[in-house]
Amino acid sequence: MTGVPPTAVGTGPLGRRRAKAREDGFDRPRFLKLYSWLVYLYLFIPIAVVVLFSFNSVKSLQSFQGFSLQWYDDFLSDPTLRESLFVSLRIALITMIIATIVGTMLAIGLVRAKTRWSPAANVLMLIPLVTPEIVAGISALLIFSQLGIHLSFWTIVIAHITFSISYVTVVVRGRLASMGDEVEQAAMDLGATRFQAVRLVLVPELWPAIVAAGLLTFALSFDDFVLSFFTTGEDTQPLPVRIWSAIRFGVSPTINAIGTLMMVVSLTAVIAAVLLPRFFGRKESGIKVLTGQEE
Amino acid sequence: MSAKGFWSRFLLPGGIWLLLLFVIPICLVLALSFGYTDELGRAVYAFDLSNYADAFDPIYIPVLLRSIGYAVATAALCLVLGYPIAYYIARHGGKRKHVLIALLVIPFFVNYLVRTYAWVALLADEGLVNNALKDLGLTETGIQFVNTPYAVIGGLVYGYLVFMILPIYASLERMDGSLIEAGKDLFGTPSRVFMHVTLPQTKQGILAGCVLVFLPAVGDFVSAQLLGGPDTYMVGNLIQDQFFAASNWPFGSALTVVMMLFLSIWMLGYLRSAAREARDPVSAGGV
Repeated sequence: MTGVPPTAVGTGPLGRRRAKAREDGFDRPRFLKLYSWLVYLYLFIPIAVVVLFSFNSVKSLQSFQGFSLQWYDDFLSDPTLRESLFVSLRIALITMIIATIVGTMLAIGLVRAKTRWSPAANVLMLIPLVTPEIVAGISALLIFSQLGIHLSFWTIVIAHITFSISYVTVVVRGRLASMGDEVEQAAMDLGATRFQAVRLVLVPELWPAIVAAGLLTFALSFDDFVLSFFTTGEDTQPLPVRIWSAIRFGVSPTINAIGTLMMVVSLTAVIAAVLLPRFFGRKESGIKVLTGQEE
Repeated sequence: MSAKGFWSRFLLPGGIWLLLLFVIPICLVLALSFGYTDELGRAVYAFDLSNYADAFDPIYIPVLLRSIGYAVATAALCLVLGYPIAYYIARHGGKRKHVLIALLVIPFFVNYLVRTYAWVALLADEGLVNNALKDLGLTETGIQFVNTPYAVIGGLVYGYLVFMILPIYASLERMDGSLIEAGKDLFGTPSRVFMHVTLPQTKQGILAGCVLVFLPAVGDFVSAQLLGGPDTYMVGNLIQDQFFAASNWPFGSALTVVMMLFLSIWMLGYLRSAAREARDPVSAGGV
């Protein structure tokens, strides 16, 4: 699907030279390269600043005076902040497990079941992805208060799951849509029940996409601020909500240390999401699995 | 059990979950927007249009317009920053394509609050940028960046740039590269080839990118809160205030409905192209 068909023009040695001679203006790689490097700098400088100053030996965000781990010590020796870190991790883990199961089932249903309301379900599934998070947060807050449910750890989890289902479904559906149902049919011809065909054929085929989607969900949930902000209660608050209150009291290197550690956690999940699919015996890139592209 | 019955059972958990915890809650927001707060400050459901009259009060109109203006500027800047880099990676990325895309995505997995906070540290009156400018002798007193619309828009661009780059990259990848070669062989100048071949071919990606940046930018309250001030408040800040500081949930709901009605035009357009793509992935070429 992504493969560019071989071009008749510009592939031979002569054609390539001709094409190269005309590559200027908008197509001039040198200009584009410089521009792209500047964009990369713009993207990475603020993050580099956060990481660098998390190791500063003085309480300053203007001048770096030497290496120290005191802000990490501050963060991890503060019992409520440490508890917040564990709360964030627990929320992300539970969200990942439930959203991955529900989202995968939804993807399978959307692709395999051709019912009257499949098109409606397809649209319904996409709406959370294009809804501003503040709307999601408010509507979650309203339903919980309407039902008389106290805001707590679990209300955050439920809100996170609602918005993670769609991500999982999109990723898994992308892979499923590119597969035929021949192998399942063959399994059933050989005597497997439909359920066995799903468990023994379909799920193993989908596994790379399921794992990638799950880890992506983990990272999104771990980083989420807006949904947590609207659904957090008297329990220990997740880290991003704590960061929000801390930032409003001004900048502090402890926030840099929290930010750096959070970055390590979510990047680990994302890198695993990209790399893990390779361990399932297929030579394919995790990025392609995540974006639903298939050869 | 029929095959149809078997497969449609897979739709149930997700369908019910989204119905109960997404569709119904949004209907509640709509319902409460017609309500009012009683003397004890509790939200009461009713049928009262006064929240909508308040939403279009002259005090709040500038906030609504400002939100739209900031979000449009954000989408435009993201397009200007994002298109060339997507083009570079898709056309000239070679074997490093995946690495280059991964590098673009990495910053977006750093917590949005922390990223915005990094800009506060950089742009503050006594921040790194101002100190550097003073050291270089470019300015005596420093330049005020925070509390300006530029800082807020800059924060939004930094927050949502990846949503512009990825769909444009996908549409450039999907485009048949021989079309550009054909345009050149027909003696098109590079700019004409770009305007008449590349740009129309990647229209779907551009539209998808603009919608995906515009929608969250309109509802954002983090950037305006941390990098701006009262003069740069957006509708997200106004809504958030109603649910926390002011505790006027019905009015907050009405503002949310107004925002959603405005955004739904864009959402519907996006969903239609996504649905078209689900039926016919090759020709539609959206996300």
